[in-house]
Amino acid sequence: MTTTYGGWAGYVLRVNLTTKVITKETTETYHDYIGGMGIGYKVLWDNHVDGIKATDEENRLVISAGPLSGSGAICSARTTITSRNPVIRNHLITDGHFGGHFSPELKFAGYDAIIVEGKSDTPVWLKIVDDTVTLEPAESLWGVGIFDTFAAVSKMMGQQAQVAAIGPAGENLVAQSTIQTQGGHSAGGHGSVLGSKRLKAIGIIGTGTVDIAESTTNEQLRALDDHILGIIGANNNGVVPNQPQSWAEYSSSGSRWRGGPGVKWGAADTPVELEETPWDDRQKVGMRSSMAEMYFGRDEANKIFKRPGGCHSCPIRCFCEIKNPKMKTEYKLPTENITNVCLGFLDPWYSMGKPSSGEKRTDIQTVGAYYMDYNGIWSAYGQLSHVMREFTARDFWKIILPAEEYAAINWAQYADQDAHFMQDYYTRIAHGASYNGSNIFGRMLGQGLHNFINDDGELYNIEDILNEVESPRMAGLTFALESDEGYEFYGETYSVFLDSHVKVFNRSMVGGVHHASESAGQVGALLNTVFNRDPQCHSHINLINCGLPWAKIAEVAESMWGPGAFDPVKHYTEMNTSKAKFAKWCLVKNVLHDSLTLCNWMFPLLVSPDVNRDYIGDSSIESQMFSLVTGIETSEAELDAKAETVLQLHRALTVLQMNEPNQREKHDVLSEWVYDLDHDMNFGDEGTIKMDRDDIQIGLDMFYAEMGWDKDTGVPTRATLEKFKLGYVADKLESLALLPA
Amino acid sequence: MITRRALLANGAKVAVGTVYGGTLVGFLTGCGSSDDADTPIVEVLPGGLMVVNPMLCVGCRRCEIACSWSHGKSAVSPSTSRIKVAKNLNFGPHGVQANYEDQRGEQGDSTIVPSTCRQCDVCMTVCPQQAISVNEETGAREVNDDLCVGCGYCADKCPQQVITIDKTTRKSLKCDLCQGNPNCAQVCPTGAIKFYTWEEAVAEVELHEKYLELV
Repeated sequence: MTTTYGGWAGYVLRVNLTTKVITKETTETYHDYIGGMGIGYKVLWDNHVDGIKATDEENRLVISAGPLSGSGAICSARTTITSRNPVIRNHLITDGHFGGHFSPELKFAGYDAIIVEGKSDTPVWLKIVDDTVTLEPAESLWGVGIFDTFAAVSKMMGQQAQVAAIGPAGENLVAQSTIQTQGGHSAGGHGSVLGSKRLKAIGIIGTGTVDIAESTTNEQLRALDDHILGIIGANNNGVVPNQPQSWAEYSSSGSRWRGGPGVKWGAADTPVELEETPWDDRQKVGMRSSMAEMYFGRDEANKIFKRPGGCHSCPIRCFCEIKNPKMKTEYKLPTENITNVCLGFLDPWYSMGKPSSGEKRTDIQTVGAYYMDYNGIWSAYGQLSHVMREFTARDFWKIILPAEEYAAINWAQYADQDAHFMQDYYTRIAHGASYNGSNIFGRMLGQGLHNFINDDGELYNIEDILNEVESPRMAGLTFALESDEGYEFYGETYSVFLDSHVKVFNRSMVGGVHHASESAGQVGALLNTVFNRDPQCHSHINLINCGLPWAKIAEVAESMWGPGAFDPVKHYTEMNTSKAKFAKWCLVKNVLHDSLTLCNWMFPLLVSPDVNRDYIGDSSIESQMFSLVTGIETSEAELDAKAETVLQLHRALTVLQMNEPNQREKHDVLSEWVYDLDHDMNFGDEGTIKMDRDDIQIGLDMFYAEMGWDKDTGVPTRATLEKFKLGYVADKLESLALLPA
Repeated sequence: MITRRALLANGAKVAVGTVYGGTLVGFLTGCGSSDDADTPIVEVLPGGLMVVNPMLCVGCRRCEIACSWSHGKSAVSPSTSRIKVAKNLNFGPHGVQANYEDQRGEQGDSTIVPSTCRQCDVCMTVCPQQAISVNEETGAREVNDDLCVGCGYCADKCPQQVITIDKTTRKSLKCDLCQGNPNCAQVCPTGAIKFYTWEEAVAEVELHEKYLELV
C-alpha cells in the first residue's frame, strides 16, 4: 500500500495467462505518467514487440485507473483500456474507455491497473476479491452473451461484484468488438484481444478504501465539490438550457441541457415531470442532461425514458435508461429495458438509413442496442454503420456478396425499417466465420475497413481478402448515385476516401471522424490526425457546444490561445497559431483526463452556467482535484506537463510500431472528401465544413511547432522528448533511425 | 385544504422513528401507503423527515462518497459508507436471480434501491456493550466508539444491512444522520435522498396542493 500519497491504490496486477502466474508490482513506477492511459502507454512501450498483430500472444492489454478514480472526485470513474487494435491499419495502439463502476471497484480492491499478457489454452475469467486474485475456468461462459455473463459472474462472486466481459464477437476474434461493464458501458476495439487470450471476464469485489492524502481535510473535499457543482454544465458542458427557461439569459438548441419543461421520465414507475432545472438547484443537477430526446425525439423519449444513468461519482448522468415494452412483446427479447448513450443507440439507426423519429426508430435503436451489447460489437465510432448504410444505398452488397448469401439476407425488412433486421445483422457480425451459413457480409463488416481497401481507398474483392488471396482482385465498384453527379469521381472507381458519407477522416489510419472539421474547423481536423483511432476528444466540444453565444466563446478562446483561435462552426477562416495552440491544449487535456481517469465528455470546464462569473469556468479544477487527493501540490501547468509526457510517449510509440519516421506523410493524412465535399462551395464559405489542402499543411507546420515535433516528419525531436524526461525513448528511436536528425 | 397548522399538528403526532412506505405528500396527507421496498421511504425524525425515493435514484453513489468524506479520515469506500447503494446497484435487493432482467437494478429494470439506515432500534437492542444510544436531538442511533468492541452483532442483525465493522479500527460504522443535516442528502443530484425540516415539508405539501388545483 502506498503510504506517501493519496489517490493511487499502490499496486499494478500483472496476469500472465500462459503461465497462469499473477504478480503485483508497485504503481510508483508509473507516477510520472499519472495513471490510466499513462500506465497503458508506458507498459506497451516497455514491452514493445515489432510487427505483431493485436491478437498475437505477445500483445499486452492494460486495464487501468488513475489516481482520481474511486476518490470521490466528480466524474472520475473512467477506465482506460490500452492495447494494439485490430480495427486500425497495422494494428497500432489505441486506448478505449468505459465508465460505470469498474475502476473505482478496482481501486477499492487495491489496484491501479491490470496488465494482461500471454494466452490461456482454455477459457478463463479473472476473479479479484481484494488480495485474492485467481483465474477461474470459463468454459461454461464461453459463447454466452454479455448480459448473462455479468449475471453468471456476479452470481458466483456476489451481487456487488463489478464485472467487465467480452461477448461472442470478442470470442470469435471479430475485430470490431468491445470490452464492456455493467450499465451499458463499453470500450471499443479490444474485445478480440481478450478473446484471443481466452479471457472472458474480470470480476472484482473491493472492500478497501481509496485513501485521500492525510494533509487533506473533508471540508476541503466538500468545498472543491461545491465549487465544481457551481461551474459544471450538462453533458459536454452545455451551460445554457436547450430551450428557454425563466432563470436563463440564453438558450441554445446545441446544448445537451435537455432537462426542462415538457421533458419527463415518462417510463418511470411513477413518471417524473422535470419542470425547470435552474443551474443553482443542486438537487436537479442530475436531471439537467436527460438526453433521451436527442436520440428518440421528444414524443418518443417522454414515453420510453425511465431516468438518466451513468458512472460512479458523476452527477451529470449522460446515459439513458430506456424501457420499450415491445422489446419483449414483439421482438421476444428477455428484457424490455436497455441503457446506453450516443453510438449505442445511433449505430443501429445509422445502419438502417437514419429513419425519422417514431416507433420504428425507437424499436431499431432499442433492439439494435440490445444485440450490439449482447454480442459485444464495436461500431468504431459509427464506421460500421456508415459502411452498412452507404453500401446499401449504393447497392454494393448485391455486387460484393455471393448471390445465395445476398438472397438469404432479409432486405425487405431493411427496406421497411423493421427492427427485426437487427437480430441477424448483429449476429452475422458477431459470429463472423462461425455464422451458420455463408457470411461474407458479417465477416467484412466485423473485420475493420482497412483490411479491404488499397492505398487509394478502393475496395478489393471481399472474398479474396477473406480467403487471403495473394493478389486479390478489385471489387469493381463505381460512383453511380445521382448525388455523385456534381463530382469528378462520378462514374469512376469507388473509394471510401472520396465518399464523405462513410466518414473516414484520417486516411492513413482509416479512422472515423469524431468532432473534427464538422465541429471545430482546423482545430478538430488537426487533433483527428494524432491518435490512431477516432480521437474521442471533447476538450474543444466542451467549449464549442456549451451553448453560449459565438462571441462569448470567441472571447474565452482568445483569452486562452490568442486572437482567431475560434471560428463559428461551419464558417471557418484560415489557419493561425492560436488554432494550433488550441488543438494542442485539447489533446493534452484529453490525455490528462484519460490518465487521471476523469471524464473528457465533461471536462475541462472553461465556461460555467453562472452569470455572476460572467460564464467563466475554471480550467484548473483537475489540478485542484489531483493536489487534494494525492497530496502532491501540483499546478495546472505542472499537471498538463505530465499529461504531455504521455502524449509524447503515445506519438513515439506510434512511430515505433509503424517503424515509420515520416508521420507527416504516412500518418497525419486526411481523406480527400475532407477537402472536396460540397463541390459548389469553397473553403471559408459559411455553411461548409470543407478544409483546404494548403491550409491544413500550414496547420500541421504550426501544430508540430507547438508540439515540439520535427516540421518535416512530425516526429518528436530529441529535445522535446528529453524535456519530458523521455530520453530513453529518444535513444530507442535514434537506434532505429526513427528520430529526426 | 390542509392548513399549515393542521399539518404541523398532524406531523407532531407521528412518533419519531416511524417509517412510512410511500411519498412525502402521501405521508403528510394520509393518502396512500405501501410496504413495497421499492417505493419511497419516509422516515420520521425529531428535526423533520428523511425521504428516500428509488424512482429518482440515478446510481451515481455520490451519497456514499459524501458519507465517506463526512466521517473520520477522508478515505472513500462503499464499505465504510453508512449508506449502501452498491449493494443493490446491479441486480436489486433480491440479488442475482434467474430472471434478473425482471428484477430491480442496472441489469434489471434499472430501478436502483438505495439501502439507508432507518434508525430503528435493532442495533441498539442487540449491542452487548450498550454502545449504541439515541441522540435525542437528531433521532440518530449513534455508536460510542469508546464502548464498541467490533463484535458485529449490530451489523449481522441490521434489517437493512447497512452497518459495517471497519476492517482497520474494528468499530461499527453506522449512520449518525450527520448531526441532523445528512451529507448524503446534501450531495444527491436528483433529490432521491432528501431531508425536509418540518417547515420544508409543509411547503412541499402546499406546492402539491397548488398542482392539484391546476389539474
